[in-house]
Amino acid sequence: MSKTDYWAPALIPGDSRQGALQQVWANRTLYVFIFPFAVTMIVFGIVPIILSIYVAFTESATAMSKAPTFVGFENFRSVLSDPQFINSLWSTVLYTAVSVLLNVALALGLALVLVGPSASRFSTFYKLALFLPVVTPEVATFIVWKWMFNQDFGAVNAALTSLGLPTFGGTTTNVGSFSILVVVELWHHVGFYTLVFLANLQLLDPSLDEAAQIDGAGKLKRIWLVWIPQLRPSIAINVVYATIEFLKTFTAVVVITSGGPNFATNFVSYYAYKKFDLAQYGEATAMATVLFLVVMAVTLIAYYFNERRDYR
Amino acid sequence: MKLFWKIAINLFMSLLSLAFLYPFYWMIVNSFRTQEQMLRSPLRWWPEEPTWEAYRSIGELGGVSLVSYVTNSLIVTIFATVAAVVMTAFGAYAIYRRPDLPLFGAISGIFLVSMMYPAVLLVIPVYILMFKIGLLGTYTGIILFLSVIPILFLMLLQFFRSIPTELIESAKIDGASELKVVLLVVFPVAKPILTTVFLIGFLLTWKQWLPVMTIATDPDHYTLPVALLSLNSELGVNLQSTMALSALTTVPIVVLFLLTQRRIISGLLAGAVKG
Repeated sequence: MSKTDYWAPALIPGDSRQGALQQVWANRTLYVFIFPFAVTMIVFGIVPIILSIYVAFTESATAMSKAPTFVGFENFRSVLSDPQFINSLWSTVLYTAVSVLLNVALALGLALVLVGPSASRFSTFYKLALFLPVVTPEVATFIVWKWMFNQDFGAVNAALTSLGLPTFGGTTTNVGSFSILVVVELWHHVGFYTLVFLANLQLLDPSLDEAAQIDGAGKLKRIWLVWIPQLRPSIAINVVYATIEFLKTFTAVVVITSGGPNFATNFVSYYAYKKFDLAQYGEATAMATVLFLVVMAVTLIAYYFNERRDYR
Repeated sequence: MKLFWKIAINLFMSLLSLAFLYPFYWMIVNSFRTQEQMLRSPLRWWPEEPTWEAYRSIGELGGVSLVSYVTNSLIVTIFATVAAVVMTAFGAYAIYRRPDLPLFGAISGIFLVSMMYPAVLLVIPVYILMFKIGLLGTYTGIILFLSVIPILFLMLLQFFRSIPTELIESAKIDGASELKVVLLVVFPVAKPILTTVFLIGFLLTWKQWLPVMTIATDPDHYTLPVALLSLNSELGVNLQSTMALSALTTVPIVVLFLLTQRRIISGLLAGAVKG
């Protein structure tokens, strides 16, 4: 896992003195290997992003024409002074914070349980149950959830009633709508983060744990002082990955809440999508760019801290 | 005390697992019931009198036959996944071999950035782009767009890094060309992970809907999830048909996953350590 291993083949003496072109020629096979991958990635991954940012600087009415009118930062100004967008941004951030915390904490707990001896007999079944929602098409499963939370047909309210509990307002209330998305997306994602933790737990050096055990450290103490510190890189990876994932939340909103009620779940992706529908391309892509910058900033900060701590 | 914890943990995990599986069960049971029955008792464990009515009703959707949606899903998923695995395996290998080469760093950097852009907002630019390169409304356009699957790159890169460098170096010393090294040394070792990566790519591509909806200009090119979404947004409540189509979209994936779960899970778990 050490970083030096993977750089090693590069450190052939004399390489640094070669010109770039010479180096390219000497490794032309590798360039041929990477070419299809690089081209599809650039054409379908990067070009649309650049196009989208470009549209953010043009007037909506002309954005799709042959000669779009440039308006500078006008779209950004109008978007950032739109109280609804600011609301949207805050609810997205809140949603992301809540979801990342719940997902990563629950996944870590589940992985620690699954790796231990207590759950070993049925651990395959548990893993399958947790992971199934990750691989099944979310359009389908989110629709099922939407109906499960339905007031008339739904299993959730029927279950609450049969237990003598008050019914749940579902997507008709702000908090209800927001929580449904948190729960449904937790169901959809947590298995993935759990498996990432599990994979890393199984890579841990058992000698450290054994040493701590010999020294008489209890189970909880060992988890806290031996396991969690070793898991730090994977916690960082999961947090970053989950943050990116949840900031971009879209499908669940489309399928379950349509941004409502009262715009309580009108997250940035969905709001921008609605702007597209209204042909406000400039504003829509400006929103996309703002969200993109937020995602980038979060990732870079997390990456920076993680790298720095790695080399401490 | 130990036994108490063991029972408590297993009880909790079992309840949680069953709760996780319940939506699938609810979906299947209710796809065999009628709307009135549902309204009367939403929680039934077994259909009163199982009926195929809902499945019959989705034989044709929006003027397109169900068979067409299924075929589209299969074509798009298989071709996009194969393309993704081949391109990504070579790309990840090249980056693993010489991350220091000119442009290679930039390519992996670009790659990470492209993961961060909210995919939903690519709707319009992708539409424009596909229009410009003449791939709008074509299978080729859909397949090419879907053949960029970020997680496969990360998995393969991780795996290649776990191959002992001596294996490659010794082949190089024996005079093997880079192509020979890949085809005769690296890929044979990587066969299990390539299969796993294919399976994971398949599962991930099957569920895609937004790019398909954007690039396909007519329902003739729609895949199952897109058909399902249009059924969901239609006016009027047709719960049974929605459940039936959801089941058709989900069950093949559940079966595929259960058949290959050992591979998929252990691939994700151990891919990096085992060779």
